[in-house]
Amino acid sequence: MASNDLVLTNVTKRFGGLVAVDDLSFTVQQGQIYGLIGPNGAGKTTVFNCITGIHPCEEGSVLWCGEEIRLLPTHKIVQMGIVRTFQTIRLFGQMSVAENVMSGRHIKSSQSWWNGIIHTPSSKRDETANWQVVFEMLDFFDLTEFAASTVSSLPYGIQRRVEMARAMAVEPKLLILDEPAAGLNDNETQTLIETIYRIRDKGITILLIEHDMDLVMEVTEYLTVINFGSKIAEGNPGEIQENPAVIEAYLGSEDDDF
Amino acid sequence: MMKKIQVIGYPLFFVVMALLPAVLDSRWLVVATTFVIFTIVALSQDVILGKAGMFNMGQALFFGLGAYTTAILNSVYGWPMLATLPVAIIIPALFGIVLAGPIIHLRGDYLLVVTIGFNIVFIQAVQNNLGGVTGGPNGIFGLEMLQIPGMGAFQEAAPYYAALFVLLLTLFIIRNLESSKAGRALHYLREDDLAAGSIGINTRVYKIFAFGVGAGIAGMAGTVFANQYSAVSPEAFNFLQSVLFFSIVIVGGSSVPGILLGVFVMFVLPEIFREFATWRYFIFGFAMIFTMILRPRGLWPAKFGRIPKAFLEKGGNHGQQ
Repeated sequence: MASNDLVLTNVTKRFGGLVAVDDLSFTVQQGQIYGLIGPNGAGKTTVFNCITGIHPCEEGSVLWCGEEIRLLPTHKIVQMGIVRTFQTIRLFGQMSVAENVMSGRHIKSSQSWWNGIIHTPSSKRDETANWQVVFEMLDFFDLTEFAASTVSSLPYGIQRRVEMARAMAVEPKLLILDEPAAGLNDNETQTLIETIYRIRDKGITILLIEHDMDLVMEVTEYLTVINFGSKIAEGNPGEIQENPAVIEAYLGSEDDDF
Repeated sequence: MMKKIQVIGYPLFFVVMALLPAVLDSRWLVVATTFVIFTIVALSQDVILGKAGMFNMGQALFFGLGAYTTAILNSVYGWPMLATLPVAIIIPALFGIVLAGPIIHLRGDYLLVVTIGFNIVFIQAVQNNLGGVTGGPNGIFGLEMLQIPGMGAFQEAAPYYAALFVLLLTLFIIRNLESSKAGRALHYLREDDLAAGSIGINTRVYKIFAFGVGAGIAGMAGTVFANQYSAVSPEAFNFLQSVLFFSIVIVGGSSVPGILLGVFVMFVLPEIFREFATWRYFIFGFAMIFTMILRPRGLWPAKFGRIPKAFLEKGGNHGQQ
């Protein structure tokens, strides 16, 4: 087992009497594009919230690079290289695209708190270097022309890209994407698929939730299917498509879901 | 447009402000000095309320703490006025950090109520002559005043220029804050603190940082305020003053021109209409009502898109290709 894996073991998360995630275990290996799928309300986003420390789970363990991160606060987990995007886009709406992406440079910046009061030559160099990375990132996501645009005024598809650019600016080792194709048209989805491959080519592990089955079956290498918070199947896309439990719980209700 | 205002506007503003004492009589000089001091406090409130988005209704506490620090050091320990300034920055900043620590997780109205409480506790402490050095309800009188050498004939304007200098210093700090990691972090956590945490910002630390910086600047304003009147008294720092600073930021908007406009509308206009006696405070109420209805983000809201020019031009070219 490589050391840069994300290992969830018997993770259970309760909200009052509701068991949102029930005894879930899976392993995301370094360099994988890993999919987490399941019908609506299956607890997928809750799993992400457990991994990223937004809603720490009560039981089980979340190992990342061999370290227990279950009870760490969100910003510590980010510093260890796990960054996520949100199902409902959460950008800094009044600010420009470049400033949004710059927020991802926060933990990479060497500036101290007092540089907020007095600049030094080294803090100015750091500032310029970080803007440089931001514009490289904007270029990577083909967002350069929107650099100075206010985020909330941009179309949904572009906002999705800005959110991914912001996450990538943190230089994560594991990128968690919560329904990256939600609200995108076919062209945008195709671009997204290419972008996901390009991110993987940078050596970044990707864990994603997605409802768009074409996308999931195309990009992911390994899948875990959950329903009512617990795992009903895992395997590669081919195996999953033929798994009777999955077909019954999920693909069988295709008419309802899509 | 914005750039033009910054390049021409600020030097012009300071030239006009520097020449102002030549045309003002002594009553208006007091108003002008107070305008400058209130602007500094409102800018400090803006760091906490406007930039970081925390509903702090106790800014007069830090303002008063700075003023009292200066007054006590000067009257009891005989420190020269100028020497008290660093202490009058550090003590409020430390109080800001210590007070904010346990309450920083509170949101919106909860934080508002707690900070009102802090403000009231402070006023009660100084009114009841805490430690025998605050002078009770009457405050502390007969402080030394800063003298500007070589300005013997113009000494009346000395407090004004001291305040103007501190305003310049404050604007320098605000400018640095805006182009730094720490300053941007404040904007991020106002916009969405969950998202800010999710990209690695320690939201707790930066909220406390905002209180520290805001309290320090307000403390600095306190020193020049004590210098202006060569006295301090509790009612200058009570809860109603906090309401004034709060509403200046809300009415003006979270930008330097906005704050200047806010102080003008909320403080100078009522002074201009003094002949209408207490009716003049109508403007105070109406300003709050109409800006919230017509311009909910303030008269001159914060502008974003502060991207270094070199990068922006590169971006513009790319867009044309």
